Formats: sequence, structure tokens, C-alpha cells
Amino acid sequence: MLRLAALLLVAVLAVVPTGVLAAAPVTWLAGLVLVVGGVGALAFSIPLITTGASLALITYALALVLGRPAVDPVPAIAFGAALTLVLALVHFAGLVRGARVPPTVVAAQVRLWLTVVALGVAAAVALTASAALLAPMLVGAQLPVVTAATALGAVLVAAGIIRTLVAR
Amino acid sequence: MSWRPTRLTLSFLTLVGWALFLGVLTGRSELIIVAVPLVVALLVGRRAGAAPDLDVDHAVSADRLLEEERVTVTVRLRATRAASLVEVLEPLPARVRVAHGSHRAFFTLRAGEEVRWEFVLRCTGRQRLRLDGPHARLWGPLGLAAAETRYRAPRRVAVYPQVAPLRYPPRPITTQTFVGNHVSRAQGEGIEPGDVRPFAPGDHVRHVNWRATLRLGTLHVTQHHPERNADVVLVLDTLSEVGPPGRTVVDVAARAAGALAAAYLARKDRVGLIEYGGQLRWVRPGSGRAQFQRLLDSLVDASVVFTYVTRDVDLIPARILPPQALVLALSPLLDARFVRAASDLAARGFDLVVIAVSPVAAAQAAARRGGVADLAARLWTLERRAQLAELRQRGLSIVDWDGVEPLDVALAPLRRPRLRRVLA
Repeated sequence: MLRLAALLLVAVLAVVPTGVLAAAPVTWLAGLVLVVGGVGALAFSIPLITTGASLALITYALALVLGRPAVDPVPAIAFGAALTLVLALVHFAGLVRGARVPPTVVAAQVRLWLTVVALGVAAAVALTASAALLAPMLVGAQLPVVTAATALGAVLVAAGIIRTLVAR
Repeated sequence: MSWRPTRLTLSFLTLVGWALFLGVLTGRSELIIVAVPLVVALLVGRRAGAAPDLDVDHAVSADRLLEEERVTVTVRLRATRAASLVEVLEPLPARVRVAHGSHRAFFTLRAGEEVRWEFVLRCTGRQRLRLDGPHARLWGPLGLAAAETRYRAPRRVAVYPQVAPLRYPPRPITTQTFVGNHVSRAQGEGIEPGDVRPFAPGDHVRHVNWRATLRLGTLHVTQHHPERNADVVLVLDTLSEVGPPGRTVVDVAARAAGALAAAYLARKDRVGLIEYGGQLRWVRPGSGRAQFQRLLDSLVDASVVFTYVTRDVDLIPARILPPQALVLALSPLLDARFVRAASDLAARGFDLVVIAVSPVAAAQAAARRGGVADLAARLWTLERRAQLAELRQRGLSIVDWDGVEPLDVALAPLRRPRLRRVLA
């Protein structure tokens, strides 16, 4: 059951980029996402599923660059939610393999995942809405300012990775 | 207990990093939006507060078992505060299998809630089983952080060798003075009739054999053999062992020693035990249920301790090895030191029977099967047969036992009355 759910989420990760652009390089990469992510989902392997998810992100970025569609936050939010769920699900499934797991534990975990994803979706919607409100006011903003702000976020994430590695 | 980030945190951070990097690189806001649910998950998964304390109670259903018997382990858990996911693992020692349930379990606990978890273990080999207590790991939301602890509440279970019923243990040549189940060669008060002789002053009237008296014309009485007990000393060879864990020749010999001890003690005999190996240990001959418990306790601990030192049987005190005792030596006869010790005992006039536990079957069970292994086993069997024949020629009374067939079958040749043999 958990394997099937993980495979479905991997399929979502492969389908969203092809929905943006069903062209040759994107479909090849989507196929690779299906293979790597599928193996990760079947084997409950966190490194493989992370690799598959990273490939899916690259595929999505490539599809957006090549297709140049209008900004549509709905598939992006679905993609982010699928990424969150697939990581949590594969981790939990690998953890409980071979152990005694009462149904109440699974139910509590599913409730927790859905709550977190709902929070994430709500935050993404709020961010999109606030961005739409701020956009007219920031029309004159320079690109370097936006880039610097995003780069600051990337630096903070890198710092988080380093802190995690040190703590381990 | 303190929270530590897991490798899943690294995966989440990697994906957030990829999304932001690609978002900046491509200038597409969708990739920034993709990162938002991941960042929210990371924030939810970050636990700043202290991990909840767990009360753990750990119990076993029995403290004494026989091999292949089962013991139920019960673990009770209670959390002071709510815990979304608690993983509990009871580490299993060697030669223990889970027969029912699982030794690893997951729970979701509300504040003050108590859960009870049971699983059944099957003990496949004699040992002093020690269950130290479960490991507990608390998982934060989404498994992004974990806190570990170990609860030390050691429970000990003695797993004794399996004791198969034995109907015909070897009969001792000489008996002792106390009442038992063996018919003594001596004349006296008893049930078993012996010789018929002329009446002598002091004889009881009830012993008069009227049939012989009528036939011979003078009073004749029937003599009787008294029922007496015997001293039996089991000598266990722990100098060497062959075979997979739980099925080594020492394990097989320990089971046979347990069966022999039970059979002799049921016949009111006094039974002692000598562990002849790297450690020379013994149990003084005694009788009764308490003695059986002492013997089983000693058999549980019997193991091979490597040493170059040869300990002579002279070291064994006479009260441990009484002169008239029946000595039953259980050995694979792999070590020349034990063969020497057995020959020494026989030369000193002890009523010695060597039960030679074949190491071939045990070695085959440990090795990978194949043509070469089968050929080696056949050659070893022939070599062993020649060794036993040579020892028999030297006067040792030897019973060959493969460790698989019932011990009663192997001991069948000893059912006939035996005579004391003189060592060549």
C-alpha cells in the first residue's frame, strides 16, 4: 500500500514537467525520474528517492525554460506537495519495514503528513497572493535586488545543510 | 534525550537548495513556489522543546526454559507528554528467534497513555539468555529529527539443554549401600530372588522355599538380591567442538548428559558431573531434584575454553569421582588429551563407558554440501571407525552415537550385563 502511494507520487513528479512541455529532452528526463524514483519508492531508499526528486526538479526547470509558459502556481504547488509527501512516505515506509505497526500509528502519520502539506500549500498560496499584490509596487525593482534576496535564501539553505552535517 | 536531525533533513534541504538555485538560474517563480511546502515541512519538523520522557517496564514470562521452549517478553511504555512516533527495539542475543510478533514496534502515544507490547521468543540453544532492555527512539514530525535512549532493565533467562526421556541407561557394575533401583550382586534383603541354600539359624521363616524343602527333604531358604543405588559420574569433554552454533558436539553431549542425569536420578542414584576442558569444573555426586537443577545449571555453562594446559584426572578429588562409580564419558574423541584421560580412568579400574558423539554430522551441518564435503565426511567416518576399533581393542568400552538417533538406540548394546574390563 505504501509502495503504491509512493509510486503514484513519483508518477506525479514525472507528469508535472511533461504537462508543461511534452518535448523530447523533458520526456527523456521524466522517464529517468520514473526509473530512479520508482526504484527508490520500491526499495524505500531515501538516497534514491532524493536523487529522483532532484532529477524531477531539474526536469521541471528545463520544461519551464524551454516551454516558457505563463506563470501557473497550481502545478508548482502540487509539485512541491508531492515532493514533501514522497520523502516523508518513503522514509516512514523504510522505517517501519519488518516491525509491528498498529493501524493507529499509520493513521496518525497520514494525518500529520496531510496537515503539514496543507500548511505548505496554504503558505505557497499566501506567498503567491502576496507576490501578486506586491508585484505592481515592485515594478521598478532592479534585477540585482531580487537576485540578491534569492541568493540570501540559497545561502541560508546551504548554512542549514552544513549545520545538519555537523550535527550528525 | 535530545533531538538530532536525521538524514531526511538533509534530503529536504537538498531539494530546497535545488529549487532555489534553479529558480534563480532560470528566473521562474514556479520553482520558488515548489520550495515553499518543503520549507514549511522543515520548520514543522524542527523540534525546539525537550523530548518527552518515557517510562518503560520490561518483563519476561519465565526465568528457566528448555531449548526450543518459548518465552513471552512484555514491554509497557508510558510517555509524560505526547509522542507522535516512538520506535522500540529489543536487541536479540544469538540463538534466539522471534516466534510470534516482532521485536521492533512503533507507537503513537498521547500524554500519560500506556501501551503494552508483547512478543514471543524461541530459544534455539542452551545459554544464559540476557535481555538488557529495549532501545527507544522518538521520531519528530515527518521523521526530520530523532532522539534515542536505552532502558537498562536486564532480565535473565536460563535456557537448559533439552532432556529427552531415556528408558535404558547403562547399568552400573557395582552398586552402593543406599536403597535404589539396581539389583545388587550381593545377597540380602530384597525382592529379586537369588540362590537357594539350606536353612541356617537366624533365617526368617518367610524366606523358606517350600518347594525346594519338599523336594530335598530338609529346610531350604531363598536368598535375595537387595535393590541398591549407584554412583554415576558424567564426564563432559569440552576440549573441542565442531558444528554450527546450537548444534555443536558439546551441545549434543550436554543434551545427552541431561538425559542421562534425569534417568539415573529417577532411579535414586547419585549423579555427578565433571566438565573436562580448558576449565576443569565439577558437581559433586548427589541425588534428588535439587541435584538435577545443579547439573542443568552446570550444563548450561559448559563451553569450550581454549588452553594448551593438560589437566590430569589426578586433580579430581575422590569425593567427586568415587572409586565404585559408573563413569560415563561424553566426547567426540577429537582431542588426544581426553582420550588419554579416559584411558587413565579405565586403567585405574573405573567402570567407564565412553559415549563417542560423532562430529561428522555436526561438521556436515556447518559446511556447505557438495561432492568434496561428502567424500571428506565418508573418509572421516572411516578414520573414526578405525580409531574406535583401536580404542576398543585397548579395553575401552565405547558406544558410537551420531547425535541424531535416540540415545536409547545407541546404548542398546549396553543392556546386557557387563563385566569389568581390563585395559590392555
